[in-house]
Amino acid sequence: MTAAALLLALAQPFAGAGPAADCLALRHRGENIQADHCFLRLASAAEPWARAEGLWGLRRYREANEEFRRAVAERPRDPDRKVRWGRLLLERFNPGEAAELFQEALRVNPRHAAALVGLALVAANGFEQKAVELARRALEADPACVEARVLLARMALEDGDQERARAEAAAALELWGEALDAMAVLAAAEWIADREPGVWLERALRVNPRYGRIYAVGARFLVLNRRYADAVQLYRKALELDPALSDVRSELGINLMRLGRDEEARRQLERAYDEGHRDAPTVNALRLLDGANNFVLEKQGLLELKLHRKEAAVLGPYVRAEATRALTALQSKYRVRLEQPVRIELYPDHEDFAVRTLGMPGLGALGVTFERAVAMDSPSARKPGSFHWAATLWHELNHVVVLTRVNNRAPRWFVEGLAVWEESQASPEWGERLTPEILTAIREKKLLPAADLDRGFVRPSYPGQIVVSYYQAGKLCEFISREWGFEALLRMLDAFAARRSTSEAIREALGITGDEVDRRFLAWLEQSLRVPLEAFPTWRERMKRLAEAARAGRHEEIIREGPAVRDLYPEYTEAGSAYELLAAAHLAVGDKGAARAELERYARAGGRDPAWLRQLGELEREAGRTAEALAALRRWLYVDPMNEEVHRRLGDLLLEQGQAEEAMREYRAVLALGPTDLAAAHYALARACRAAGRIEEAKEQVLAALEAAPGYRPAQKLLLELNR
Amino acid sequence: MRGLALASLALLGGRIGLAATYWVILGGLGGDADYEQRFAAWVREAEKICRGSAGDVQVVALSGGRATATGIRALFGELSRRVRPEDAFVLLLIGHGSFDGYQYKFNLPGPDLTAEDLAALLSPITAERQLVVNTTSASGASIEPLRKPGRIVITATKSGLEKNATVFARYFIEALRDPAADADKNETLTALEAFRYAGQKTARFYESQRRLATEHPLLEDTGRGQGVRLPDPAGGSGRLAASFALLRLGQAQEAARDPARRALLARKERLEQEIDLLKYRKAAMDAAEYRKQLTALLIELARVNEELEK
Repeated sequence: MTAAALLLALAQPFAGAGPAADCLALRHRGENIQADHCFLRLASAAEPWARAEGLWGLRRYREANEEFRRAVAERPRDPDRKVRWGRLLLERFNPGEAAELFQEALRVNPRHAAALVGLALVAANGFEQKAVELARRALEADPACVEARVLLARMALEDGDQERARAEAAAALELWGEALDAMAVLAAAEWIADREPGVWLERALRVNPRYGRIYAVGARFLVLNRRYADAVQLYRKALELDPALSDVRSELGINLMRLGRDEEARRQLERAYDEGHRDAPTVNALRLLDGANNFVLEKQGLLELKLHRKEAAVLGPYVRAEATRALTALQSKYRVRLEQPVRIELYPDHEDFAVRTLGMPGLGALGVTFERAVAMDSPSARKPGSFHWAATLWHELNHVVVLTRVNNRAPRWFVEGLAVWEESQASPEWGERLTPEILTAIREKKLLPAADLDRGFVRPSYPGQIVVSYYQAGKLCEFISREWGFEALLRMLDAFAARRSTSEAIREALGITGDEVDRRFLAWLEQSLRVPLEAFPTWRERMKRLAEAARAGRHEEIIREGPAVRDLYPEYTEAGSAYELLAAAHLAVGDKGAARAELERYARAGGRDPAWLRQLGELEREAGRTAEALAALRRWLYVDPMNEEVHRRLGDLLLEQGQAEEAMREYRAVLALGPTDLAAAHYALARACRAAGRIEEAKEQVLAALEAAPGYRPAQKLLLELNR
Repeated sequence: MRGLALASLALLGGRIGLAATYWVILGGLGGDADYEQRFAAWVREAEKICRGSAGDVQVVALSGGRATATGIRALFGELSRRVRPEDAFVLLLIGHGSFDGYQYKFNLPGPDLTAEDLAALLSPITAERQLVVNTTSASGASIEPLRKPGRIVITATKSGLEKNATVFARYFIEALRDPAADADKNETLTALEAFRYAGQKTARFYESQRRLATEHPLLEDTGRGQGVRLPDPAGGSGRLAASFALLRLGQAQEAARDPARRALLARKERLEQEIDLLKYRKAAMDAAEYRKQLTALLIELARVNEELEK
């Protein structure tokens, strides 16, 4: 075969790129100098499309965009031009306009395979289920479409379906023996399975000795499998082979940031930025790193706390105490000894947390664990009552412990399921709520088999499926623990660590098939939720009537009807719950005892509205039930720790009970919050210090109180007492 | 309408010889039932607190259909004849305000009152110490027309462009009843203390609700400024507000009338001044020496107070 014929044959897979096919074929082979010459020639061609492709190849993106605009204006009915322009926009971080161009191409030719692939890529990048369907439609339109096959392989691997991923990649290689991206997926599957992908590396590098992307693709899959440190190693190898991969450099930077290696992260991100890779994650991550001075890092024992300056003094003691409690309990339970420090970062701005996690704002999660680094929302990032910071902390720290035990090798559903279940083990009031959305999913038989449950997390097929999957995973772990004991969960972890699939792990650890577990689990779940599952429509109707009665002030009717409505769905504690309506009605008729009892039920069921928890604390205190009042205030503290009042009330009650050291902690928090009444806050702390026998500290505090308010009589009296 | 205003004045009660504090509390147009109810409740609450405070306090409160431009003009006409230079005068505006780019308006049933109208109404009031607390939306635009030497102007918003309904009024009224607002615990709530309390609570409200703050309260008491968010008497802004007693909370003033205790009170006052001076010198002093001197002065002050209480 002559060189020209070889090039012609090689360029076939790039035929859709029109004038750029030959140049892309050279680049595919790693012949970058020749490829650049080729693109340079195109850039000065007479045809706008050729110029556009040439400029794109030379990374002169703005000019390429302009030339594509001309090329499309010249031949507005040519779908190929629209698709190529769309691909440029997709590459340059504009998926919205890219999708519009793919749609326009499909309006001209509804079976345009490359346009369907383009749309599938946009959807796949957003982990949307419709990406699979679009890729299949592309294959129907053109059974030889290699890119569609590779995309299906990639998505199967994202879903954890190694078998299907390998089959699709193999089919792609059947179509074109040099499909490097297919080899990359196959290599990634090997890395996930803890095997060296020697054969695929060798074959790919034979085609293109500078094909660094094979490592980068593997790294992306390791990230999806929570193996961030391993991913960093692969990103480095990718850059060794091809240092010009600035998108890969940016990903390396973001993953270094996830692991808490901020300095190197910044260096890599800055270099990617300087090389022209200025997508939103790179820019956002650099901005976040620029704000590092706003945070303080406190190291003590195994814990490294990174907290915002303005809230470190308030939250630090609570987070440290809760983290210590959680890590002690979980290490013992999971028989893990953490040798390296655990880093916990709290972000008062949710978007900072999102950028820290994904590089992009808009993340729905509350916390994320990157091996031994936990990043989460600070309580001040959310509306008081909507976020239980301690439950989230336990959840994330459970990931740290469990992932250490299995060396980061376990499916997502199991890791999340254990964490959700452990929240409820820390306190029955914590854990995933049974929302109406989840009840509906169970009623409509939308739960996934255990073997496919990862799909519910990675590629949800209906709104709310991620939340449903968390709940299901947590309940499944609870069920396994009840039926086979906690040891069975540990056996499953060991099986996963040994790279068993979910079906295999179930068989090894429980001695039955995955199908049998699914069947028994569903029966158990439906039985345990029988009342709300059956009564849900009735409950909804009756709740409406109860709310109407509340609006009209018909307290007696609420008191009469409310308990039955509440018991139809006792897990419902969200705003406007039957508990709240009942408590309000009891208070309106002056029955504080009944209101207290109702609010106790509410709190035990997981109710978290700060106003009601405050009310409960007050009612308990008035009734002389100090222990219960303290419990109510502590619940309030878990959902609203930036509130000065909760600390003050808790401090007062603890001091009354002679728990002076604990009271001191609360009063210190009041002071750290910058109280409205500075003098009273110092005075309260002075009293607690005196009660704890810390006379010198008491003197300091009373002096501070009087410095702020020299005429403050109670503080003056204490000053005289302390100086007698 | 005139009859209504005069009926309100009848509530002022008898005068005594000492300087009085006049409170005029106006509740504007709500626009809907919810706001009507809220504004009326705030007016009632502020009125109740003021009437219950110590000293000679004269209160007039108008809200709902009674708070019209005509009624308010009549009320101010009457007040201009009664209020004396040694009295203190407080005007508290609760409700909605608007700003069209040129003029601030306090929204009332019927014709509104502009900030210029309010300034004209205040002009004949001879009280040398005046405070205007405008808690309405867009109130920042009223600073310029209302400011003058000897008058403190507090607004809920920093400009006329902050047009959303405000929460500042709620916290300003809370300051009047919460002992925590009396930051220096001298049983006198000053305008500055109330402003700081309400400003802090307003900021926290938006923070805790995770909402973008749509109001930024200002205080202007120099007669020439644009208003400041964080007044600092040492730097000039807030000095007048720090000396403007809004409410007397305890019995401190009663003691002043007992000749037997005057010597102790004089000593107390001297000690308080010495403490203030010491605090001003703090930055330039050795920390241990400062602490030693402060402790000594505070102990002495505490003993004087103990004597006064006997």
